[in-house]
Amino acid sequence: MRKRAKDRLPGFLLVLPSIILIAIFVYWLIYRNVATSLDQTVTRATKRVLNPGGLANYSKLLGDGEYQHALFNLLVLTVVFVAGTMFFGLLWAVLLEKGVKGEGFFRSVYLLPMAISFIAAGVVWRWLLSPGVGEQAVGLNQLLAMMGLERFQNGWWQSPTQFSMAAMAIPAIWQLSGYVMALFLAGFRGISEDQREAARIDGASEWQLYRHVLFPQLSPIALSALIIIGHMSMKMFDLIYAIAGQNSYKASVPATLMWTQLFAQNNPTAAAVNATILLVLVAIVVVPYLIYTSKSEKGTH
Amino acid sequence: MAALYNGSSGTFLPVKEGDDAMATVTFDNATRVYPGASKPSVDQLNIEIEDGEFLVLVGPSGCGKSTSLRMLAGLEEVNSGRILIGDRDVTNLSPKDRDVAMVFQNYALYPHMTVADNMGFALKIAGVDKPEIRKRVEEAAKILDLSPFLDRKPKALSGGQRQRVAMGRAIVRSPQVFLMDEPLSNLDAKLRVQTRTQIASLQRRLGVTTVYVTHDQIEAMTMGDRVAVLKDGILQQCDSPRRMYDHPANVFVAGFIGSPAMNLMEAPVTDGGVNLGGHTVPVERDAMKEAGKQVTLGVRPEDLEVAEDGQGLAVTVEVVEELGADAYIYGSTEQKLLAATGENAGEVPFIARVDGRRPPKKGALIHLTPKAGHVHVFNAESGLRIGD
Repeated sequence: MRKRAKDRLPGFLLVLPSIILIAIFVYWLIYRNVATSLDQTVTRATKRVLNPGGLANYSKLLGDGEYQHALFNLLVLTVVFVAGTMFFGLLWAVLLEKGVKGEGFFRSVYLLPMAISFIAAGVVWRWLLSPGVGEQAVGLNQLLAMMGLERFQNGWWQSPTQFSMAAMAIPAIWQLSGYVMALFLAGFRGISEDQREAARIDGASEWQLYRHVLFPQLSPIALSALIIIGHMSMKMFDLIYAIAGQNSYKASVPATLMWTQLFAQNNPTAAAVNATILLVLVAIVVVPYLIYTSKSEKGTH
Repeated sequence: MAALYNGSSGTFLPVKEGDDAMATVTFDNATRVYPGASKPSVDQLNIEIEDGEFLVLVGPSGCGKSTSLRMLAGLEEVNSGRILIGDRDVTNLSPKDRDVAMVFQNYALYPHMTVADNMGFALKIAGVDKPEIRKRVEEAAKILDLSPFLDRKPKALSGGQRQRVAMGRAIVRSPQVFLMDEPLSNLDAKLRVQTRTQIASLQRRLGVTTVYVTHDQIEAMTMGDRVAVLKDGILQQCDSPRRMYDHPANVFVAGFIGSPAMNLMEAPVTDGGVNLGGHTVPVERDAMKEAGKQVTLGVRPEDLEVAEDGQGLAVTVEVVEELGADAYIYGSTEQKLLAATGENAGEVPFIARVDGRRPPKKGALIHLTPKAGHVHVFNAESGLRIGD
């Protein structure tokens, strides 16, 4: 046993710097964040209690109308974003998986948006999603006008509806559909050709072939894509920040609200509460998935 | 033709069409040229397969046997010629409209479905109702000893069981034609021999026309009603195993069919026969008219006798394989030996079967003569069989 411990020492020393860095910059900061979220704070001048301290901080934030609005926005964004990327990702993968001519080209075209940073894309989309209609129409609204579809012009994420965040999902879908496509494409490639042949001989039409033979075998990949896109949506900050600007109420989600709480409202405790809830929400989605995949990997090996 | 069945009550019950339709299979000049290929993979194939017949397509790799099968299945385009099942021209039909079932080399089971769902998939697609599917799947499972595994996924089965599921998937459909593409090649040697017999007897019991592809000539000889040998996309011979063995149509078939392989050698034509190692092997005079000065002479290892008097072909024994009842000797001779299949061209040994109880010693010089009437003579240039 001693000898084995000795053998492991050089390896341990090699990973030690990253262990220390992660310990400080991830786990210690999470701890500090949680600790901050439980602080009691009182405004200096008026002695008004800003945060009652302890878990009451959480119930205060959860009861806050501004936060509930942000959560609802997040729900709309996530549903549309996930559904959109899954739909377009699968559609493009189906179109490309038969080995069409120039597949490599189309694959690059679809994947390219992912290479652009959210901030850079956000600047462009801010203009594309301009709310001006009629004479002032620019961006997508102008495009609609040129196509003679004026009646579809709208304010996009600034539309006067509570589901306006659906428009914010458009740039996100544009950026990540290619990624989902790549995942599905890899999945299609993993299904041997003779299964298609067997299904055709079994009498399946092309639709039945996909419906009964190919799609069911992609379900683990669909789950991965769902989790990856879902947790990205929950954490999304930069795109919204770039499009809606800082402190936008209309387009606020918990991540952007955190910015407002910290810098505009000068309330780090509330921001810490917000961050902790967000971390828990993401963990609820991701952790069971990680356990499931590590289990199924062990199962196959 | 919807036949009418005279029921016991005197009423006429229509019988499902197809049950009595003759499921013959006809390859009519069927040709397949892959895009960009200079010569066809299957070149004007003509075979007529009878209803209920078990036909084996055999040949070395790349001979076009699998392509022929896939053309029949509809998985491969037919560039010219026709393929018929019964009287139906299926040349341009898609696989699903051909009423054929196929067993793949890698079985191609659907990994996400249970054994029962795998076997019942075709029926489900055809819209058969669930109890009927279950009934037919269970019947097939009983025949194939798969009943305990119906609820398992293919992953949880052994290679032999998977193979049987693939068979079951074909049987359940009761199609007009079974197509089998090297279904035994992924099994170990012992299981392969067992399964070989099972498939052959099952086919005879079901009486469904079957086209079976293999590269293994022993499989071909033991299973087929008839065997079709292909080489470079061209049909060499299509005959019963016996006929194929006794009357190979050309040098290739002669060397391909039989194990150990037939000895093939160049031999000069003499008056009244063919000269083999200084001695004349008598051959029908009429037959020799078409031959030139040289012919290719073929003798199977078991058709040789040791000549005690020193008459015959002199062979130096290099290896003796004792198999108990028989022994095979592998030796060298001054006669120029030919490799027919081209796979192991170069040095080929001369092979002879001798009495297992008193085989010659290694290094001994023995003399061998072919048994009368058991020599095969081929044209030295065309390779075609001369005489009967």
